Formats: sequence, structure tokens, C-alpha cells
Amino acid sequence: MTVLNWKEGDLAYDSSVFVKGKGHFVDDLNLPGTLFMSVLRSPYARARILSIKGGLNGSELKAKMASVGEGADPSQSVSIQPVFATGYVNYVGEPVAAVFGDDRYKATDLLETVEVDYEPMKPVVTMDDALKFPPIHSGMKSNILVQSSRGSDFKDPDSPIVLEDTLENERVATNPIEPRGIVASYSDGMLNVWVSTQSVHSIKDGLVESLDLRPDAIRVMQTDTGGAFGSKGGLYPEYVMASYASMKYGRPVKWIETRREHLSSTNPGRGVRGKVKIFAERDGRITGLKGDVLVDAGAYGTGIASFSAGFIAMMMTGPYSIENGYVIGRSVLTNKVPQGPYRGAGRPEASFFIERMVDLLADELKMDPVDVRLANMSDKAFTSPLGMKIEPAKPFFESAVRELEYRREVKLTNGVGLSFFVLVPAVYPGESARIIVKDGMVKVWLGGNSHGQGHENFARKLVNEELGVPENIVTLFRGDTGMTLDGVGSWGSRSAIAAGAAIVAACRKIKKKVEEENGNYSPELLLSGSYDEFVYEEQKMSLNSFGANLATVEIGKLGNVKIKKCAAYYDVGRALNRDMVIGQIQGGMAQGIGQTLHEGLYYNEDGQLITSSISDAGVPLAEDLPNFTVKIAEHRSSLPHGAKGLGESPTIGVPTALIRAIEKASGKRLRKTPVTPEELIQ
Amino acid sequence: MSMSKIKLTINGKEIDAEVEPRKLLVHFLREDMGLTGTHVGCDTSNCGACTVLLNGKAVKSCTMLVVQADGREVTTIEGISSGDEMHPLQRAFIQKHGLQCGYCTSGMILTSFWLLSKNKNPTEEEIRKAISGNLCRCTGYQSIVESVKYGAQLLKEEQKGEQEIRVR
Amino acid sequence: MHPSSFEYFAPKRMEEAIDLLTKFGEEAKIMAGGQSLIPLLKLRMASFPYVIDISRIQGLDYIEEKGKFLEIGALTTLSEIEDSELIKERYRILREAAAQIADPLVRNRGTIGGNISHGDPSNDMPAVIMALDGKLEITGKQGKRVVEASSFITDSFTTLLQEGEILSKIMVPVFDGSSGGCYIKQKKNAGDFSVAAIAVHLSIDKEEKVRRAGIGLTSVGPRPLRAEKGERFLEGKRINDSVASEAANIIVSESDPTSDFYGSADYKKKVLNKIAVEAINTSYERAMVR
Repeated sequence: MTVLNWKEGDLAYDSSVFVKGKGHFVDDLNLPGTLFMSVLRSPYARARILSIKGGLNGSELKAKMASVGEGADPSQSVSIQPVFATGYVNYVGEPVAAVFGDDRYKATDLLETVEVDYEPMKPVVTMDDALKFPPIHSGMKSNILVQSSRGSDFKDPDSPIVLEDTLENERVATNPIEPRGIVASYSDGMLNVWVSTQSVHSIKDGLVESLDLRPDAIRVMQTDTGGAFGSKGGLYPEYVMASYASMKYGRPVKWIETRREHLSSTNPGRGVRGKVKIFAERDGRITGLKGDVLVDAGAYGTGIASFSAGFIAMMMTGPYSIENGYVIGRSVLTNKVPQGPYRGAGRPEASFFIERMVDLLADELKMDPVDVRLANMSDKAFTSPLGMKIEPAKPFFESAVRELEYRREVKLTNGVGLSFFVLVPAVYPGESARIIVKDGMVKVWLGGNSHGQGHENFARKLVNEELGVPENIVTLFRGDTGMTLDGVGSWGSRSAIAAGAAIVAACRKIKKKVEEENGNYSPELLLSGSYDEFVYEEQKMSLNSFGANLATVEIGKLGNVKIKKCAAYYDVGRALNRDMVIGQIQGGMAQGIGQTLHEGLYYNEDGQLITSSISDAGVPLAEDLPNFTVKIAEHRSSLPHGAKGLGESPTIGVPTALIRAIEKASGKRLRKTPVTPEELIQ
Repeated sequence: MSMSKIKLTINGKEIDAEVEPRKLLVHFLREDMGLTGTHVGCDTSNCGACTVLLNGKAVKSCTMLVVQADGREVTTIEGISSGDEMHPLQRAFIQKHGLQCGYCTSGMILTSFWLLSKNKNPTEEEIRKAISGNLCRCTGYQSIVESVKYGAQLLKEEQKGEQEIRVR
Repeated sequence: MHPSSFEYFAPKRMEEAIDLLTKFGEEAKIMAGGQSLIPLLKLRMASFPYVIDISRIQGLDYIEEKGKFLEIGALTTLSEIEDSELIKERYRILREAAAQIADPLVRNRGTIGGNISHGDPSNDMPAVIMALDGKLEITGKQGKRVVEASSFITDSFTTLLQEGEILSKIMVPVFDGSSGGCYIKQKKNAGDFSVAAIAVHLSIDKEEKVRRAGIGLTSVGPRPLRAEKGERFLEGKRINDSVASEAANIIVSESDPTSDFYGSADYKKKVLNKIAVEAINTSYERAMVR
């Protein structure tokens, strides 16, 4: 690496540097001669562009976004977003032009030099409008981006209990504290890109496709990544612009997102509605479930929406053994920023739908919700009619009820909620790892890239276990396509399992080599030699795991929810690092509370974003949150290192437990997150 | 465009500079001084990633012009350790895992530094109130609160130790 | 987010500041702590060719009792108010309000003068000073004039300040022994602006009847409001649940909230009603303890 003054050690994950302010975030990278990019964005939800004068715009850079990253679906070609809007703008915040200045102040000043004439059009803002009005993109028959179904349709049974309800999760901005950002530097035929990301390979694949680059002429390197939560997994228009501009001007180009841009233009999560009908017996057994899921895709099929509809549909029976199931999932286009993954990415929505219905059934039958859940689970493995494989659920749930002290809590207060879920991690299609042993040190790279979860801890531990070398000589480096041929990304609760398995496989390959060379293996033999192994460890099996949450609340007379207890009990397979596991769970629980009580991304009838700050968006403060009670179970998975998925569990389990607790305390049926004081005030 | 001449102290060092009046303190620190431990996370004075100490008090350096710091003392995250010796709060944040992605960490530590300068034994409630202008999206704050408590304890032990040395 | 260019002046004397403001007229903007102004400049929701930083003017940063008034210099920060021993002991309502503004870091820079003269209907200090029958000293070319706090903010972001004038001092009548008040604020999210907030200050006589009531309202109208009918209603009465609840209804009738991001107008009225009852009861209890 010639262009950087970062030393090799600066390229490793090392959380201890952050307390000294010595991190290496993308905005900390100042290459000589850097141009700063500012992006002019659409002020309208929908308009015809009559003319654009000035800046880099779509008349010059005609590239389209590539569909890469989590849940990418390249089949949605009609609705793929252009890098710059041309002809029409389709959401507030859509890029229209980019300007480049010698510093960030000048770049902002230059926005005023671009003139755009718009002819505003009536936008399609809500999912209902999307179904009612003509398509926002010409070339489509309707605003339905995808429609898929899971299970097979069945005739409504003649059940004694039939319940139907419509449930919804408002859109949520992911809001990592570090916004998105990129530095692109082109020289001598090579495009070097530094980016805050969950996946250097997604970014590379995206830029290669979008700009039609030779794969060997681009290298994408991860900087310290200040949180991501799904939103830094894939390509964004700004990355294409910055890369293009660097090639055009022959200078490094930096773009750092502002928080306003994040709210208007980074793919938010959730924004899903489900109409759910269940058929049940008087003893609490649910015999059938029908569902109609609508996903608010936003303006283009670039995000995750075309994948989410079917994914949510698949998970709609949750961990329960329900015989009949049929769910239709549709993603619809609206004039809003494209939807993307946010911690959970479909899992919290599916769980919200089924858990809300199970609680409704308990109320209808005047049964304890725990007993209704018990009536619907098995001590045998089960494959749901929607296609999800579930391990025997009953033994875990029974221990969860004990561990979370549910029976004691319901005696103490009325406002108690308990939730149960099965986590389906995105372990497919596997992950890559490269391990280099040289000069007595072990260096590790992964295809999927940590953004705060502390992958270096499990990397060190697994290398230590497999190769017998001390942890302090093992270093995990940040993502770098120059060091790994291929790779996936860090999302979907997959890293400890998929990346962990890749590390184990790479270690075993190296160990075998040492044995072949020396007739036997010892750490000393290993460290006296040089080895370099890359593996792409495929994962095809299902690795689902269970979790349960409990919440207790009180509601003040102004409708403010006071959380008394927020507890989790999750099966993590095997905790590779207990402190990191607890940290992941606590942080996720905060996000679960945020979604339930505070967070939303709101548009008015003109499609204008009215959520205008990170505070408006509802990111919880220390004052908003309780201390968490976290317990873990360790039932090893079938992977060699025993881990199971974890990261998304709290955002699945907390909203359902918490909303139930609020429902019980308020006596009001609750159907939507966030639940606001306005709904609860007496 | 007229430039303003300023003189300020940053991490104990006197600095003379000529700056555009519109330049925010955070950008001066990061870009002119190379002190990139101070971060920017929002535009609306909410997140506190940009927290620094101004004459000992925690403030948001993104909501301050550098010219407003003329004649004043600014301390950033890079300025609270003595040489290689980390401040007790820095050690506490490592030991109690008061961070994940690390982006809010400088601000959290500096706000806590200010809190402990006024209150050596903060309660959990006092800590949560004190950091209510600093957002963390990763930890759920619990480990941060524990870090501040532990940092307070380490600081007291250290100060006690120093006193004993002086007595001797 | 980066402000547009401007010329910057940091006068050390009041006269100098007034001269600059007079010279540049509407093109100049006063900045004290900058906690409201700088975000606006950064987002380029406002821009001014001239920014006059008054924070270096000497002698505008104090909290002291002087004769019949508690006097607070306009450049006193909100955290200085929060931490002041005098205020902690004798003017609890001021501390209560200050401690609920934004967050501790913003309060370390934000000043009471800025909080009032920004004219934002969701800023907290105006309602409190109004409830306390406070007065504001304004300094201009012709010298000083004193106005009633209740008349100072005339509309959203509009005040009585004329060209070349600066809010220099906040004056609150010294409390007598038998009075008490409180400030209650309902926020959507912690750290946020309020959905509604109320300042109530009651003085009681020997028979425990309300001798004087002051009520200021935040975020429920185009400007901070004084609930005068509510005040008149309470005066001469002992407070009990039905009095408090009737007064709250009257106070709500004096409010004029609009539906926005923070909630519907009806919701804001509901909130105001409940916090009014609580604020009246709490203030009365505090007055009785004295």
C-alpha cells in the first residue's frame, strides 16, 4: 500500500485504539489532492426532470446500480436505480448531480451552481396508493415489484376460532453513528477504494458491474466501520459517482454522508404490513395460517425488498408446528428511498406477525399466552408448510419460561410480555477466509467484514483452538479484496457461523500441510514455516436457533412507557467470546426497544420526509433504556466450532415481547410499531 | 473572504492559526490539526460523536465555530492520556467493553471525563443523564455506564495513590 | 454540513456590538452560544453575511439577587443556571427548566439570552420567565429599556428586539417565602423538543389561598403563551383536585397547538391538560412547604 500513511498494524481490527481516538475511519483518510464530493438530491418525491445544468450528472454518467449484497435480486432490471436520476426523480433524496471541491465547504458551496428544472408529479407514497395507482416506472404493469407465495392455498377450515388482524412495522432508519463514506483513488490503471462497509466484495462486485471495470483493476478495502446494521452491505449510487470521478479527474475523491442524507437516501429497514388470519381450536392449537404480506420497496428494486416478501412469508409460522400455511408476499414500489436490510431484515417482521396473532388468540381464549405457545410446539423436529425447518422447540421454550422467570413476573404485574422465535441466519452460501502464517505471526482475513461486532475475538479464539498458537500472535485484518479472492459479507447473523467455519477450515488445511511436510503437527513447526491458505467454505444446511424474550412495563398517565425489565434467553450454540455475545445482545435489545417505542421514518402526503434528525428518527438515548437481563443457552450446532447465529435475535424477540407487555398494561390491542405515547395516553 | 486570526490551546499546545470564520471547530481539529479522534455523526447537535472539552467542559465541536474557541483551551480524546499511560476512563472502556464500533467512544469518554470532574461518584442515573447528549447505536449503553462507573473507581484509586506518594 | 461564508465579528464591548448591528442591519445575526444558530447555518436553512458573536462582551455572565430582582446576565449558560447554588436553593423552577433543555453538552454552550431571544415557541426559558412575571432588559443605541417577558416574543421566531438591540439581562422578581413552582415537559423522545410543556408558579397567602399565579406554556402555540385566564381562575382559591382540573381545562382553552411531527393538536391538548394538573398541584405543594 503506497498511497497511505497507515502502517500494517493500522489495517487490523483493534478496538483498543478507539479509546485513544486512533481509529481509522474512512473520513480519517486524507490522501494528497483529494477532491470532496457533494451530491445534489431531489427535493421532490416524484417529478419530471426538464433540464439539468452543471455538475456531474446523468447525461455523462449513465451507469445503473448493480444489484449486489444482502438479498440482492438481479432479475429486477426494469426497476434498477440509475446512479443519477435522468428523466424522472422518484424519491426525495435521489441523487441528481454531484459536484467536487477542494474541501468539503467548497463542495457544499458548489451545489448552488447546479440548476435543475423539475415538473412535480403526484407521488405514490403509501403501500395502499401503490396498489391503487399506475406504476411509477414505465415498462411495468403495476407497482408490484415481486409477488411470491409460500405453502399451498387451502380451503378455510371450519374452525371454532378464526382471528384476523393487520399488523405493521413502520420504516426504521439504520442510523449507525458513523454515516456512510468512501474514498476512491484511481492511479496507474488501478482503482483503490476505501469504504465503510460490511462487505468489500459486494462493493467491488457492484462497482465492477456498474462501471464495467476489469475485476483485477479495482481493489476495495474496508476502513474501521462505525456501525452498519445492514445499511452498509451493498452498493450505493455515491460509490459509483466517487469512483467514476476519481478516474475522470485522476485525483482521490472523498464522499462522506451527512445525517440528513442518511435519513433521506440510505436504505432504511422494515416498512412492512401483514394481514394475517389464523384458524384455531379451543385448546389453543393453531391449525392453519394465511397471510398477505406487503413490503414497501421504495422507488427501486435495488434494495432488499424483492427478496424480503418471500423471505418474510417463509417465516410466518414462526417456531410453531402449524399444519397448514399459505402466505402471499408482495413488494410494492412507492416514491420513497429504496428499502434495505436493517438488523433482522424480514425476521423481526415475520415474528411480529405470528407473535401478535398468538397473543391475540390467548386473549380470545382467555388462556395464558405461554400455554397457547406450548400448545403449538412440538418436541420433534418439524418442517413448516411454508418451508422452514425447525428443531424441537418445546424443550427450549420450557427452559426459557423458567429462565426468564415468567411465572413469577406475571404474579407481580399485569404488564408482562413474553416472546418466542426461531432465528434463520443467512448462513448460505458460506464465507471465505485467508490465513497467512509467516515470521511467527498468524494473519487472518475474512470475506465478511466486522462493523463493531468484534470478529477479531472469535478469529483469535478459533485459530488458537485449531492450531494451538497463542491468541496474541493472531491478527484479523479489515476486509480487503486484494487479500481475499472472493467473499460474502457480515450480515444476517452469519459471521460467527459462516466466517467462523471458514477460519476452522483454513486452519485445518494449514495443519494438514504442516503434517504432510513434517510427518506431524506442532505449533512450533507451524510458526517456523510459511503458509498461505484461502478457503471458501460453503454452507448449505439450516442452522436455525431459538430465542425468547420477556419484558415488563408500566405506563405513565402521559402514555410514556417505563420498561421495568427487559430480558433475553437465547441459544447461541457456543459462545466463542462471552463478553462479545452479551454486548451483541444488549445492543440489539436497545434497537428492539427503539423500534417498538421510538423509531420511525415518516413521510407526508407529498412524499416529503418529515423525520429530519437522528433525534426525530428516534435512536434511543441512555436515559430511554433500562439495564438488560441476558441469559444464554449453549446447545452446540452441527458446525465444527459449535456456534449458532446471534446478532439479529434481539431485534426479533424484543419488539414482540415489549409490545405485548404494553398491550397488557394499557388494555389496548396494539398492531403497529412504534407504539407512541399519543396512542397510550389516557 | 476574510480570514480570522486565532490563538488557542489544543491539548496543552498553543496554536496560532488563520481560519475561515465559518469553519467548525470539529473540522479544524480533524483537518488542520490532524486530530481525527473527534468524529462527526449528525448535523443537528444530537449525537455527540464530536464532543471535546472547552475550558474543561464537554461541548459539541460540530456546533461551534473554531473562532469561538479563540483564546480558549480545547482538549480532545488525544489529549487526556499522559504519554503512553492511558487515562483510567480509557482503560475502563476497554476492560468493560464500553464500545463496539468505536465511533461514539471519544465523545462518550470526554463527556464522562467532564462528569467525573464535577462528580467523583456518579450514580447510574447521573451517568445516564450526563451522556444523554451522546448517542451509541451498538452497545445499548449498559456497558458504557459500567465503564464510567469503573473509570470513576480507577480514577479515585489513582488519585489516592498519588496522594500517598506525595505524603511519603 | 457546512455553513456558507460570512464575516465574523467578536466585539468585546456592548457599544461596539450595537454599532455593528446598526451598521449591518438585517444582514447581521447575533450569536451567543450558537446552539440554535449554528445548526441552522450548517443546514443552510439560514445564512447571514455578518455574524456578530456577542459572547465576548464582558459582564453579561452572572446570577445575583439585587434588590427586588434575581438578575441573570444574558450570556449565562444554561448549565450555569442548572449548577448555581443560589438557583438550586431559591429558584427551583429555573433549575428544573434549564436541566430539561436539550442535553448537558448543549447546555454548556447555550445561553439563557439565546434561548429567549431566538423566539422559538418550543424553547423552554420564555414560558418560565413569563410565569415568574419576569422582565427583560434590552440594550440599544439609545441605552437600556425594560420590557415584560410576556410581551417579548410576538410571533414564531419574532421578538420585540429592534435593529441594533441586544437582550442583555433577565430579571425575575425575588420570590417571597410562600411560593413554589415547577416546570413539566413532555417529550417525544428524550433530548428532543417538547410535545408540550408548562411552567407554573404560585404564591400563597396565610390562608393558603393562591395570592398570585403565573402560568407559561411551551410548544402549544405560535409563540410561548401566558395562560392568563388560568392564572385569574386560580387566584383566591385553595388548590384541590377539582380546582386543578378546572384550571387545566381553562389553560387548555388558552392554548393553540397545531398538528405536526410531535403529535396531533388534540394529543397536545390532552398532554397539556395532564401536565397542567400536575404542575398546579406540585407548585401548590411546594408553596405550602415554604
